[in-house]
Amino acid sequence: MSKFLRTAVAFFIAIAVFAGTWLFMQSGHGTAAAAHAAVPAAAARVVPVDSTRCIAQTEWMRAHHMQLLNQWRHDSVREGNRTHVTRDGRMFDKSLNTCLGCHASNPMFCFMCHQYANVKPTCWNCHISPMESNK
Amino acid sequence: MNQDRRDFIRKAGIGALAGIGAAAGLIPLFALEKTDLSVFSDKPVPGKTRWGMLVDTRKCGEGCTECIVRCHHDHNVPDFGKSKSEVKWIWKSGYEQAFPTASKQFQSSDLAHRKVLTLCNHCAEPPCTRACPTEATFRRWDGIVSMDYHRCIGCRFCMAACPYGSRSFNWQDPRPALKTLSPAYPTRERGVVEKCNFCSERLAKGQLPACVESCPEKALSFGDLNDPKSEIRMMLASNETMQRKPELGTLPSVFYII
Repeated sequence: MSKFLRTAVAFFIAIAVFAGTWLFMQSGHGTAAAAHAAVPAAAARVVPVDSTRCIAQTEWMRAHHMQLLNQWRHDSVREGNRTHVTRDGRMFDKSLNTCLGCHASNPMFCFMCHQYANVKPTCWNCHISPMESNK
Repeated sequence: MNQDRRDFIRKAGIGALAGIGAAAGLIPLFALEKTDLSVFSDKPVPGKTRWGMLVDTRKCGEGCTECIVRCHHDHNVPDFGKSKSEVKWIWKSGYEQAFPTASKQFQSSDLAHRKVLTLCNHCAEPPCTRACPTEATFRRWDGIVSMDYHRCIGCRFCMAACPYGSRSFNWQDPRPALKTLSPAYPTRERGVVEKCNFCSERLAKGQLPACVESCPEKALSFGDLNDPKSEIRMMLASNETMQRKPELGTLPSVFYII
């Protein structure tokens, strides 16, 4: 009986240690890894434009949209990998125009927040801002 | 060591392995390594395709500027009105300017007056990309010599390196020099170099370059030079063609039928 009990305790400790380690390792990079979910084949060229939801959660996008845009630029310009796949399987073209496809409906979308945060990104020196394209 | 203790450690070890295996099998989140889907990505194989163009100068209409107007409109190429600060992606040169090293002895007068369509040659051995200190210009996986305007610092080394004069510099802000803004493509800003991009934004959508599409005489053909069955390779095989300044070893991807 005591031998069986000891084996059971050993099993329990092993699983507990494993689960604890796994949770500890995962806690560091939860959402970041989720939003950069990679891309399957055959998704290329056809770009589903319509979407009622953004590619990631609002909070994450608010904090990380610049890193995402940098990554997208690298992927599409240098690597030729143009398709972004979200964790739930929706596909997007890695292009600023994908963002503007929805967000340009409010011409002040970018400006409101940038003005509040007093940041002056140079995007619109070249890219056509929603303020200009909606004129 | 106590025999019981030994036994306990051994069983704990076996238990841990079994636990990992069972956990990974039962709950997919518990798998040790997440499957990296990027290996199945649509990332193209470098060097598989090499886009090229064939210009039939016999068909190219005299005085026709359809392709130039269309290209410069679609890509928001500014017109400053002065030849000194001219920005151009595609333009017409005299035969002598386009092929300065071709023989001119006893030349036909037709050839002497013929205008030749010139653009970036998207060389297989581009001198401009070697000159660029920031890798703002680089040779892509499909042979297109591309520009990343974000990285361009305006040093103009690439302009000095290009033997074809295919690159232009924005001495002023190009925005005021644009009559109509094409919203599908960005503009440039003051202090960057720009040039033809072989319509890579259209190729990504599976369309032909704007100049090829707009030519009323169908004088331009476009295709994959690495595919022996492509239309452009067929035409190259059945016609005598020229490249600009072939002696420099830049291996241009734009060919000409004279």
